[in-house]
Amino acid sequence: MSVPANIDQPVLMPHGRRRTELVMLGFAVAVVLFAYGAVGLGLKGKLPPGLPVQVLVFAALMLAAHLAIRRFAPYADPLLLPLAGLLNGLGLVMIYRLVQSGRNGNPGFHVTDLSTSATTTQLLYTTVGILAMVAVLVLISEPRVLQRYTYTLGALGLVLLAIPALLPASHSVVNGAKVWIILGGGFSIEPGEFARLALAVFFAGYLVAKRDALALAGRRVLGIDLPRARDLGPVLAAWAASLLILIFETDIGASALFFGMFIAMLYVATQRTSWLLLGVLLFLAGSWLTALLFGHVMERFTIWLHPFQGSNPTNSSFQLVQGLEGMAFGGLFGTGLGQGQPYHTPLVQSDFIFSAFGEELGLVGVMALLLVFGLLVQRGLRAALAVTDPFSKLLVGGLSFVLALQVFVIVGGVTGLIPLTGVTTPFLSQGGSSLVASWILVGLLIRVSNSARKPAPQPIQDEGMTQVVRAA
Amino acid sequence: MNRALLRLSLACLAMFVLLLLNINYVQAFKATKLAAEPGNIRVFDQQFSYQRGAIMAAGDGTDLKIAESRLIKGTTTYQRYYPQGKVYAPVTGYDTIYSQSGIEQAENSLLAGTSPQLAVHNLTALLTGKQKQGATVELTVSPAAQKAAYDALTADGGHAAAVVAIQPSTGAILALASYPTFNPNDLTTFNGSTLNKVDHRLLTDSTQPLLNRAIQETYPPGSSFKIVTSSAAFSHGLVKNPNTLVNAPEPLRLPNGNDLINDGGEICGDGHPPIIQAFWMSCNTAFGELGMKLTAPTLRQYSSQYGMNRPLSIPLPVVPSVMPKGRYWLDPSLTAFSAMGQFNDAVTPLQEAMFSAAVANHGKLMYPYLVQQVVGPGLSQIQRANTRLLSQAASPTVAGYVQSMMYQVTNNPGGTAYATAGPQATGGITIDGKTGTAQNGLNNGNLNDAVFTCFVPGSNGQPSPIAVGVIVQGGGFGADAAAPIAVQVIKAYLGAHS
Repeated sequence: MSVPANIDQPVLMPHGRRRTELVMLGFAVAVVLFAYGAVGLGLKGKLPPGLPVQVLVFAALMLAAHLAIRRFAPYADPLLLPLAGLLNGLGLVMIYRLVQSGRNGNPGFHVTDLSTSATTTQLLYTTVGILAMVAVLVLISEPRVLQRYTYTLGALGLVLLAIPALLPASHSVVNGAKVWIILGGGFSIEPGEFARLALAVFFAGYLVAKRDALALAGRRVLGIDLPRARDLGPVLAAWAASLLILIFETDIGASALFFGMFIAMLYVATQRTSWLLLGVLLFLAGSWLTALLFGHVMERFTIWLHPFQGSNPTNSSFQLVQGLEGMAFGGLFGTGLGQGQPYHTPLVQSDFIFSAFGEELGLVGVMALLLVFGLLVQRGLRAALAVTDPFSKLLVGGLSFVLALQVFVIVGGVTGLIPLTGVTTPFLSQGGSSLVASWILVGLLIRVSNSARKPAPQPIQDEGMTQVVRAA
Repeated sequence: MNRALLRLSLACLAMFVLLLLNINYVQAFKATKLAAEPGNIRVFDQQFSYQRGAIMAAGDGTDLKIAESRLIKGTTTYQRYYPQGKVYAPVTGYDTIYSQSGIEQAENSLLAGTSPQLAVHNLTALLTGKQKQGATVELTVSPAAQKAAYDALTADGGHAAAVVAIQPSTGAILALASYPTFNPNDLTTFNGSTLNKVDHRLLTDSTQPLLNRAIQETYPPGSSFKIVTSSAAFSHGLVKNPNTLVNAPEPLRLPNGNDLINDGGEICGDGHPPIIQAFWMSCNTAFGELGMKLTAPTLRQYSSQYGMNRPLSIPLPVVPSVMPKGRYWLDPSLTAFSAMGQFNDAVTPLQEAMFSAAVANHGKLMYPYLVQQVVGPGLSQIQRANTRLLSQAASPTVAGYVQSMMYQVTNNPGGTAYATAGPQATGGITIDGKTGTAQNGLNNGNLNDAVFTCFVPGSNGQPSPIAVGVIVQGGGFGADAAAPIAVQVIKAYLGAHS
């Protein structure tokens, strides 16, 4: 069917809503500015001395990102950058607050493993993250470009995953998790964060190519289409890989994210519930098996089920109990930034940063934080729904889901909803790898949302008497 | 693939909904329980970061500060301080970094500012940026009476003793002192090991300074229990009025073959004195026989009407004064002893004051209380005492009979307390009272406890101002050891309220 264009009316150019993005970004920067000021006022009753410079740098970074999007992805979803920027900024503020604890005459104790320069370092990581996001936009002009590197990225992902397992403990273990590459000089990388992104691309490319084969019905048992035995190969491979991460890197969280992402993408690609069920069964079997075999997995369950029992609060569940008591201490409205005692909780700057927000911003504050995460995930899923290219759909659907799953695993863990596993809180936790990887993820979301929202090429207007036909 | 993506979106939504529900559960629903978890560092640290409410003794019209939190110079930490030292220790109790006792414990949530009654104040403080502050607790205690009570007990010469003074018309406690006692300032240290040392010293001290004898320890009431026995006898018509003659043999042969004798084998009048004389002379045989006629259950019923056989909360917990239903309690021979405050009868010094307070207030026993009002940080009243009837101990007529007998104890030259609480001893103040000299210990082998309960009767339509109960452990005769303490408390109180 064809529709003749009405040549009497000017054609409305669909706009990319970049101005909306700028306004929302200004709002995000303002929230960060006020939060930063509030930390100083809460701690000492005066504004932090570093406030103008650090907030200016942060604002400049956000503005640069905005300009890059204007140039390279003009139709991108206008909310993605402000949401990510707001989270990143609040993370910076909380890290600044934790660095100040017990230093410079402020109340509280030193937070262990948090150096005085952590705020500046985190701002540096933010810069690297924004650069990485811009690089994604520049280098990947179309999401489909990535599809060419399906197997390359798959191999890269596996190598990144495997490195910490192969390195000696002195070069790979931090706080009991063997997931690092320690480069010396206080610098280390968590390659798993990047491996997850590379593997997402690999899964998307692989599943788009094989989805017809995987969706082929095998036998039908009890109303469920069972897959053919030989199609099980990739699923079992992914399961085995996630188990290997769990066993050799003692990283339950990363393993759950990795496997969850794979199963979600498999389900989206094939639309077959049987894969989903199989995935869940495999996950439960794997968890049960490892819980039996490895003490530390079993201990996670004990801590989760009985945090306040016996001597647990002062031993194994000390961290969880401190986090929970901190959040309860914050109550509905929180103590106010700089006025709580988050420094009692071990690793509050990374795994437990959410509980620090709960303590100082209260229930209302963390509900808002969760809604910001939820909105970010929702914008990603929206782009996945809107984009037509199946590879992009799968990639962004998987990435959005894994973002939601990551938030669920860590926030659910620190609030006692599920057993605690050490994954970072996206954008908030201290540390470069997670932050840069999160920005790359947002870069991919922006790139795909740009493709989804880009208007179809306009027919050439007013070419004399030429009849214009537009394909609907 | 969109159908599967929509389902995936629903899964994401479900995860966020679960997280939101769970943080609501942790931070709103379960927050109070988590705050009360033992070893909650934040709650522990916080209690010294703002000013805990003060405790005032307001019984003399002006407020005397007896506990306050002071900012330690150069820090943001508050430390508890008791300006009156030992004098008010049985009332305020202590406030250590780990625990509290006394009013500090009973009113802890208001003093600490964590009570739901202070929620509005706390929210206002939060919104206006003011510092959170605890509420001030104003007590009914009269500084004059309390000081006199403490001084009298200390001067007594080392006997463990306690005294309680009550305003009979309201139940307001005017003085509550116990000896030996402790200095609560010794326990306010932030140093855990110092605190442990002090705590260990107090707990192992054989004189038990931490024991609040006024409300946590019971002693045989001795003859002061004859107030209850005579009330029962009047009420049951067993004895018509104070001039009715009663049988007072010497000795009284009991059904089990033993003899009950008067103190020192003294003959009570002519053996058939009016009950009023048996009362002022405190003849045991007369009341022993009345007790047997009344039977144990009736006596116990009247003891309950005088406030016994039940725990009280003033709001410090008070151990019940009892006439217990033991194994042999229905045995008439033992009831004869119960009727004169021996056998298993046991009362607190507070109960001694309550005997007199009930008589002084025309038989109406008011519930004793210590907290006059609680004032929030904004000087608004959060809580005030409402006086209430504990029980009708006796009819006004019977209370009048008992009062006339108690008058003779102190004002008749033959009365047991004429010398120590009579007009000469008090400097003209009329006191009505009853002495008790209670035997105790296994086979009554210990030194006698001295007991005295008394009140200043109302006059010119004014209600009785004060009733006092005193017990001096091992003090000997009630009239000698206990009555002078009561007289000093009464003099000091009336002096401050004249």
